[in-house]
Amino acid sequence: MSNTNKPVTNRREFVQKLVGGVTVASLASASAMVSSVEATPEGQSKKTKSYGMLIDTRRCIGCHTCSVACKSEFDVPLGVTRSWVEYTEKGTYPNVSRHYLPRLCNHCRHPQCVDVCPTGATYKRKQDGIVVIDSGQCIGCKYCIQACPYDARFLNPVTKVADKCDFCIHRVSKGLVPACVNSCIGGARIFGDLSDPASEISRLLATNPTTVLRPGKGTEPNVYYIGSDHNNEHENNRGWYDVRITTHRKEKGRR
Amino acid sequence: MHELTWGLPVISYFFLAGMGAGAVTVSGSVLLRKGGFGASRFAVARCGALVGPLPVMLGTFLIVFELGQPFRALNLFHLINLSPMSIGSWFLNIFITLSVLYAITFLPSSAGPGDRLAPLRRGLAWVLVPLGIGVAVYTGIMLGAMPARPLWNSPILAALFTLSALSSGVAIILLMGVFFRRKSSNPAIRADYENSSYMLVTSDALLVGGELMVVFLFIMFAHLTIGDTKYAMATILPGGQLAPLFWGMIVMVGLLIPLIIELYQIVPKLIYGRQFKTVVALEVIVPLAILIGGFALRYVIVVAGQISAPTTL
Repeated sequence: MSNTNKPVTNRREFVQKLVGGVTVASLASASAMVSSVEATPEGQSKKTKSYGMLIDTRRCIGCHTCSVACKSEFDVPLGVTRSWVEYTEKGTYPNVSRHYLPRLCNHCRHPQCVDVCPTGATYKRKQDGIVVIDSGQCIGCKYCIQACPYDARFLNPVTKVADKCDFCIHRVSKGLVPACVNSCIGGARIFGDLSDPASEISRLLATNPTTVLRPGKGTEPNVYYIGSDHNNEHENNRGWYDVRITTHRKEKGRR
Repeated sequence: MHELTWGLPVISYFFLAGMGAGAVTVSGSVLLRKGGFGASRFAVARCGALVGPLPVMLGTFLIVFELGQPFRALNLFHLINLSPMSIGSWFLNIFITLSVLYAITFLPSSAGPGDRLAPLRRGLAWVLVPLGIGVAVYTGIMLGAMPARPLWNSPILAALFTLSALSSGVAIILLMGVFFRRKSSNPAIRADYENSSYMLVTSDALLVGGELMVVFLFIMFAHLTIGDTKYAMATILPGGQLAPLFWGMIVMVGLLIPLIIELYQIVPKLIYGRQFKTVVALEVIVPLAILIGGFALRYVIVVAGQISAPTTL
């Protein structure tokens, strides 16, 4: 390498270019921000929703009404579940406790099931963020069942294609809440639009300590919990206290 | 407790498709290369070309019927997306078609290095070598793509499956050679057979060595990590449920024993320029052990991935 090919420049030019570039870039980004703020009111009607659920497990009594409501809403075949309630029993007598954990599809922001689906049968709806399965396209390869970190999917024994909770899309599109939310006797489930800051779910999310399941998997779930017990049977390896999980799913432990 | 979402049909498919794709890949690369195999080049390529498509088709048959609704599999070809299974099924589709054509070019009894079909055969070989590797590698990528399955969620799995597929491909060619090419009273053909056998065993030793390296990395990774992966790997590490199968069938039967026998066969010629040791018993045992190890590898990995899970909720 020789120095003769070096581009001729000096510090002053460089600084001038730098300042010019920064000015242009900040102006551009600022104008983009302004325009987006202005555009919001007009686009209000077309604004996409992002449905989510908040489950206050302090109000859950483990009665399985949600599971039964879901079963009857969709005529879910025997032995499989779209919605279920897990019991976490901890401790040794007399220091014991039991917690309830209602489960369903998390309708994740980054759904792995969608990434792996080879036919595009499962996808996240742009208008409301619900992850759905097109049973006409699904081939029943079970790849999505493997990929879901929440074990929310199953192979429907009747249709032989993948199936799972769809946030009661038929009810929600008519302005109703999902069957499990409607039937919950403790009012533990709150369903709503996460993108609307005035919705009940948004207000509760903003004012309560909440958690999601398996945040480390990067799926960014849209089902949140208040006061949920995240203990797993793995805790038994440590030997401090006993943990027993009952999933109430046929022949299925917690994955 | 844990149900196996992917059972024996899928495991068998992984093994059969890997072996077949490996055989065709090896056949294609042997056909295309200039030196080394000498006069036996065509015979080896023919062996791989004729045997390769069958296991791939059998495996595909198994997974298509495992769906429960076989004709639904056509939905795979409505589109192509970034799912490893989507890309893999397109690869598989094209691979089966072309490998059958490739096999047909070897079928005529008059088929030889300079015949009328030679350009077509070479053209197909050029396409089938990368395609075969694609078919072999996608199964590993498919399993590795899921954070929900910590044992599979490793980029090295695809390398392991690919090396195992190529090694199984060499093994099935060697095995076919013993049955169809070994017996010959013609000393020239006999010498060719020994030369090709030496070349194939040498390549296989290299592949098996590479596979051992990858298995070592796989295990080392488990040892050096904590969390989900560590606990998932515990199923195949000593004391785990699948440890006897992993260490006995994969590492011992499938890798170490074949490697030692292969080294015993090739080292005298490779290093000291002496005779290549061909004993019919060894020529059968080595490929069989490699094929058993190849199946055990798919079995252990696919089952272990499904009986282990993330530890936290």
